[in-house]
Amino acid sequence: MKQAKNILEVRNIHKDFSGLQVLTGVDFTVAENEKHAVIGPNGAGKTTLFNIITGNYKPSSGKIIFKETDVTGKPPHILTRMNMSRSFQITNVFPEMSVFENVRAGVRSRQGLRYNFLKRPERVAGINQKTEDILEQVGLTDVMSEPVSALSYGRQRALEIGITLSTEPELILLDEPTAGMTREETAEAIRMINEVTTGRTLIIIEHDMDVVFSLADTISVLHYGTILASDKPDEIRNDQKVKDAYLGEE
Amino acid sequence: MDKKQYTNFGIWGIFILLMGFVVPVFFPAYRVILVTEAIIFSLFAISYNLLLGYAGLLSFGHAMFFGTGAYVTAIALGHIEGLPILGAVFIAILATTATGFIIGSLLLRHKGSYFALLTLAFNALFYVIATKWHSITGGDDGLSVTRPDLSLGFTTLNMSDITTFYYFTLIIVGLAILFCWYFTKTAMGRTVLLIRENEERMKFLGYNTNISRLYLFTFTGALAGFAGSFYALFFQFTSITAISIDMGTAALLMAFIGGTGTFIGPILGAFVYIFLQDFLSDFTDRWPLIMGLIFILMVLYIPGGLSGLFLSIKERLSGRRAATGQTETEGQNR
Repeated sequence: MKQAKNILEVRNIHKDFSGLQVLTGVDFTVAENEKHAVIGPNGAGKTTLFNIITGNYKPSSGKIIFKETDVTGKPPHILTRMNMSRSFQITNVFPEMSVFENVRAGVRSRQGLRYNFLKRPERVAGINQKTEDILEQVGLTDVMSEPVSALSYGRQRALEIGITLSTEPELILLDEPTAGMTREETAEAIRMINEVTTGRTLIIIEHDMDVVFSLADTISVLHYGTILASDKPDEIRNDQKVKDAYLGEE
Repeated sequence: MDKKQYTNFGIWGIFILLMGFVVPVFFPAYRVILVTEAIIFSLFAISYNLLLGYAGLLSFGHAMFFGTGAYVTAIALGHIEGLPILGAVFIAILATTATGFIIGSLLLRHKGSYFALLTLAFNALFYVIATKWHSITGGDDGLSVTRPDLSLGFTTLNMSDITTFYYFTLIIVGLAILFCWYFTKTAMGRTVLLIRENEERMKFLGYNTNISRLYLFTFTGALAGFAGSFYALFFQFTSITAISIDMGTAALLMAFIGGTGTFIGPILGAFVYIFLQDFLSDFTDRWPLIMGLIFILMVLYIPGGLSGLFLSIKERLSGRRAATGQTETEGQNR
């Protein structure tokens, strides 16, 4: 079986917040085009791990290797420009702006139109088209002129993913994208995530095991600050340690 | 949506410009002088509002750029023989751009109250320099300025003429104001608004928000210097008033009276401020007291300023809900 290249390597990451040990040696790798789920009980450190991978926090020790470059401690805007992108567990958008402007912010950033004092974004070729394409992918075309604050929760979650896609990432990290959604909304979200992450690498934090087993081809179980197991879904399902610690409750 | 907004602004812009051009025809010289002053302060208040209203940065140090622009203009005209009037303005803009960049790079990591206090401290420093460096700034005596005439090649415009200087200000400062309006539509202008809305997310979209703040701070500093340069030319004098904290507070008052949530607000505020000050000072020397009271009442009861008040009246009249006026509320603080 051919071995795909690793896009991300997390090496022995430790993180403590003024004495509180949250991560105590996290190791795992993610191959290109892999759909990798990180599961674990509340407080296991999943979001902290995301914050470290994406540069929001600096780790206490350990290394993050992204596309064979050591990016440990690099700020988020640099990692974004290296084609990493993330969504947030708590919707993190621009509530007073139009849906269109929300997505366009990322699209023009990718094209280097960030601080230009002379060019208007709508006048630069391709930006509006690209923005519309992404809105279409996440199903928000009909509300693109609306302010985000006027959208329902489910649609704000879709926008959350739309913004994440706007920078054309190779590696996408989704932090509980279906949190707080109804069953129907969740099913629709899974279908959409599957579609938009084709040809890209995905790391997803999820509590909903249906979502995890339908999306992921690799699962890492984070338990009290360390990776308990990292393997294919079937192996994880039958892993005794994982059953005892986490899945066993079901 | 965008197109309609542009048309609206276009109509208003043409209307205001026409009004501007006929002012000297219908009003006595005394009023023309007041309008000239109000135009200059409009630019100052707009530059201030790009920080306060658009970026959400409260500065108490905007006078350091206004004052530097005024002093550099006075010093340049006093020391460089035959310097044309626009040359002096240009030198003032260059100097305040550099000042803005240097001060900005010391401030760029700070927001909120730290930012406000640091701007206050830097302004105090500039004020002390202007007061003590007597040989250059004239200290408490200030510096007098002689407006050079404007040579257009085929003719020379006499700048000591009130009407000529008025048109000169209207066109040059008017162009700067127009550029400020255009700026709010550019990539950088939108970036500033987006960062105020959600700085964290902007970082995750590849924006360096500190650099963005530095660029904006430098830009608004240069604009304030532009206004300060015209202030020196207008009064034909520069004193420490131009660089005092009070001058920065005046910009804040103008922006607030007119409304920080719209582009036009600070222009409205500058005109109201200048004319009210003129009107009140006819009756009493205690006019700042009345201005202060008006300001307190505005903050308490009309936080959106005059332009915010007009907008809400307009919305009520046309029966629209405020939430649908998205393009009009973009610049708002809340």
